[in-house]
Amino acid sequence: MATATSSPATPGLTTTPYAPPPTTTNLSSATFTLPSYTSFPPFYTLQPNLTTRARQLALWTNLILSYAAHARLFRLSLSAPPANLLSNPTLHRALSEPDTRAVLDHMVQQGRAEWIPAASRAERPAAVWIYWRSLAEWADLIYGWVDETGQKGSVLTVYELREGEAVGGKEWVGMEEEMLRRVLGVLVKKGRAQIFGQEEGAGVKFF
Amino acid sequence: MSSNRRGVGLSAFSNSAISADQYARHGQALRSNHAEALANQLSVFQAALHNFSLTHAKDIRQNPQFRAEFARMCNAIGVDPLAGSNVKGASTSNGKASSAWAKMLGSSVNDFYFELAVRVVEVCRETRAENGGMIAVSEMRKRIEKGRGIIGGGIDVTDDDIERALESLAPLEGGFKVVPLGSHRFIRSVPKELNLDQSTVLEVIQVLGYVTVSMLRDNLGWERARAVAVMDDLVSDSLVWVDSQASETEFWSPASMHEGA
Repeated sequence: MATATSSPATPGLTTTPYAPPPTTTNLSSATFTLPSYTSFPPFYTLQPNLTTRARQLALWTNLILSYAAHARLFRLSLSAPPANLLSNPTLHRALSEPDTRAVLDHMVQQGRAEWIPAASRAERPAAVWIYWRSLAEWADLIYGWVDETGQKGSVLTVYELREGEAVGGKEWVGMEEEMLRRVLGVLVKKGRAQIFGQEEGAGVKFF
Repeated sequence: MSSNRRGVGLSAFSNSAISADQYARHGQALRSNHAEALANQLSVFQAALHNFSLTHAKDIRQNPQFRAEFARMCNAIGVDPLAGSNVKGASTSNGKASSAWAKMLGSSVNDFYFELAVRVVEVCRETRAENGGMIAVSEMRKRIEKGRGIIGGGIDVTDDDIERALESLAPLEGGFKVVPLGSHRFIRSVPKELNLDQSTVLEVIQVLGYVTVSMLRDNLGWERARAVAVMDDLVSDSLVWVDSQASETEFWSPASMHEGA
């Protein structure tokens, strides 16, 4: 579990305890059927024609989001993307890094992703949060669960929300702390929650 | 005859005038008889068609093959169901929407084609960014059969139905046209004429799946500049997709995009 860290270092640290998700990713990718357009070779080359490109970006967004939802993927890193998502080994085609950035930029514009700032300012961000549900949707889900289980008014730790026994099987299980904090931030803004403390033991109270 | 026998004197003038008049009258009578006979035949035929459509209306609506045969029969005997329903507004002054066809079939077959036409336009618009406004009739059929994702939303149609539905759009001047390309028929939903080179290239792509500049050079004997210019045009009309990860840039038709595994 993440030790007491300041937030800029979180990306580097959280990847280590997150060894399990990649395995589940691979397992579930076996059952994820890629849409037929992934065997269309030009799909992996960013189209020069802007109209065509707009369509292509929409298809890519669609693919990445449905894959992420299927594999419960919350973070996509450029250096280690899920196998066969950005490439098709049968066709020997792969989305190049600049093109991948273009796709992700598009998703960021659509509000379906967000760049995770790199550790140092000089570097370009190398990973994104994938919002296959928007932050607001996540906030509603979590708040709904808290409401259903009658935990309004009590204090839950962030850890409990992520990995506690009570949340077993919920869609947000395994969501990285950084992202969960953003979700909770939405609830805080709405006046439906309050966060105490910054560290791992941070508690959340729902109203 | 009167012209052979001219007659003499002034009466010749009035004679010829009288006979011309008589001929005209006789002609008129013949014409009206003829028209009457035709009108009779038509009404008999319409009654027969009406009976037929009443007894088979269900089949016409439900069975695509039967519908196609029926429409073909109507075409063969010179009744165009769709044209009939399109001119109604102009010809009937009482504003009653009653084409011969709609009257006969209780407008349900008519409506079928209009509804189908709406779907066809929808699909054309949805996919325009992807295929530049050229879609194979067969792919259109697949998409329509799949429906809009709503349960029971798909309709069982034939390629023939789709083309007929498109014809019903002609008065709107929407620029929807069915064009043959290679062995396939395509619906073109953008008002753009392809030049000969462009359609040649698209035909080649239909056959081979993709095309490169040097393939065009080798197979069609085109100069490089000509091939490049055609491909540039096709790309800028978003009719082809570019794959630059092959040894030579390949141009693919978006039609093959949804056919893969």
